[in-house]
Amino acid sequence: MSNKTRYFVAVTGAILVIGLGTGIVASYMGLPVSVFTSAAGPEELEYVPADAAVVAYANVRDVMNSQLRQRFREMEPGQDQKNEFEEKTGLNFEQDIETVVAAVLPKGNLASKPQDAFLILARGRFQAARLEALALEHGATVTDYQGKRLITHHDADRNDTADDDMAVGFVEADLIAFGSANTVRAAIDARRDNRNVVANIDMMRLVNELDNANAWAVGRFDAIAGQSGLPTEIASQMPAITWFSAAGHINGGISGVLKAETKDEASAQNLRDVLKGLLALAKMQAGNQPGMQQLADSLILSGDGKNVALSFQVPTEVFDVLEGLAKGRKAVGAIQ
Amino acid sequence: MSFWQASRRVFDLSLGEMLWSRRTIFMALVVGGPVLLAVIVKVVELFGMSALRVNGQRVAGFGVFGVMIWMLFLRFIVPVLGVFYGTALMADEVEDKTITYLFTRPIPRGAVLVGKYLAYLACTGLVVLPSVMIVYFLLVPPAAIAGSFVALVTDLGLLGLGLAVYGAVFAFVGAYFKRPLVIGLLFAFGWEQVVLALPGYLKQFTIAFYLQSLVPHAMPSDGVASILQGMFRESPPIGVALAWLLAYLVVFLYMATRVVERKEYVLEQ
Repeated sequence: MSNKTRYFVAVTGAILVIGLGTGIVASYMGLPVSVFTSAAGPEELEYVPADAAVVAYANVRDVMNSQLRQRFREMEPGQDQKNEFEEKTGLNFEQDIETVVAAVLPKGNLASKPQDAFLILARGRFQAARLEALALEHGATVTDYQGKRLITHHDADRNDTADDDMAVGFVEADLIAFGSANTVRAAIDARRDNRNVVANIDMMRLVNELDNANAWAVGRFDAIAGQSGLPTEIASQMPAITWFSAAGHINGGISGVLKAETKDEASAQNLRDVLKGLLALAKMQAGNQPGMQQLADSLILSGDGKNVALSFQVPTEVFDVLEGLAKGRKAVGAIQ
Repeated sequence: MSFWQASRRVFDLSLGEMLWSRRTIFMALVVGGPVLLAVIVKVVELFGMSALRVNGQRVAGFGVFGVMIWMLFLRFIVPVLGVFYGTALMADEVEDKTITYLFTRPIPRGAVLVGKYLAYLACTGLVVLPSVMIVYFLLVPPAAIAGSFVALVTDLGLLGLGLAVYGAVFAFVGAYFKRPLVIGLLFAFGWEQVVLALPGYLKQFTIAFYLQSLVPHAMPSDGVASILQGMFRESPPIGVALAWLLAYLVVFLYMATRVVERKEYVLEQ
């Protein structure tokens, strides 16, 4: 065997060994998403604790600028309430908020104490000093936690402990975290200790699959269903879904895809059968209404193995129908 | 010299010859295609777009890798390499009129074929399997590696088995027939493709039928041929498929060895 051949064998063999070695390490020890590539999803995910059951994201700026939003703008209620809020806080939702990330943390009982389970991270332009002054006026306290300003408010009417205080943390110059004081502290710790949802391989796998969506949600269905306090009769009838994701793109219309991963292939097949029946019913009900017919036709059921996916597209024609109905009601109201 | 020692000597000699022959350029082009495709998919995804969509749904990472294993490696690259290398094991020596030099050595004739066959396996395996590995790491996001690694190992094993079985069949074709390349191409891209799309038992006389049943990825349903095949698809159990593939391998390799040992090769002047 010549040296040239030996080198070739060594190089190709090394590629195989390195590849297999990486795979074995990833299988047994897990591989953070940050290895090789930047993490999928928004940067705010670094503030979401690793045990989050659901993570949702909305690009508020995109949605606010969408044709759909512009279309329904004139039907919104008066500006008086909005102006009052803006005067007090200096915050204009339409112009100042860029993105919002919400997370559900499986702590305590979701049904009886929902405030403990939610974390909201909003990115945008905030006047921290103004918000702080307003909070102090209303009896809030301002503290520092890990070098971040934390405004906490205790509801005197409730007999809750200090742990249940609601809090707003200014975690970055353009990012605030909102939730119970414990949750906001957990968010700051998650980023500092690098123990956040970005290291949750299953969750990030779903986030990574999202494409061209300006609003989405992914999570463990069984984790929230178990804590939602549903009656046993209903809970036992629910499909055995483990993971779910919903992603949508809003512009002129709305398009999106709902995905579910079940605990086994039989459950997935059952779910597909149920959805097939519902789709057939929807198509029958859509009748001759052009917009609804188009919506019904856009529903596509797919998936194999343990996966079920339903994609949809709400066309502009559906909103034409809704807009017509809303304008008709307004006109009737004006005549009366 | 024993049969296996002789095979080892032929293997050493043939591996270098195979790796640095003109045929390797062809192999590099064939195997480089999927790597290039994976790079393009990666670049497209880096720009926030999706390279492949089925029913309006994004097919990402491991899904694209699965499609590549199905459509490119198992259905094209493995049979094509099997045909070009397998049929040439003995036919090249006959064509170059160098077979006399091998047969005048004090080694069993069958060892020549077995040594060359092992060199073919090493040569194609060392090119195809690393390219699959590169395609995998280009397409599959790090977060999905843990969940899909077993499927990758299955794929690598399957491709190795495919190369071995196709190689054995075409080694026999190359040793027995006068125009082995034409017969090999007709078998791989004529007989196998047609019979797989037809209902009935004839598909049991193909290699692709058994290989397909072992693929850990779902069959893509976006092509007319795949839909047709899916309609008539009967998957044999894994054990049965493996047993048939091993039987093909052993029987054809044995037959090829017997042919080489008994056949009188008449060199054209």
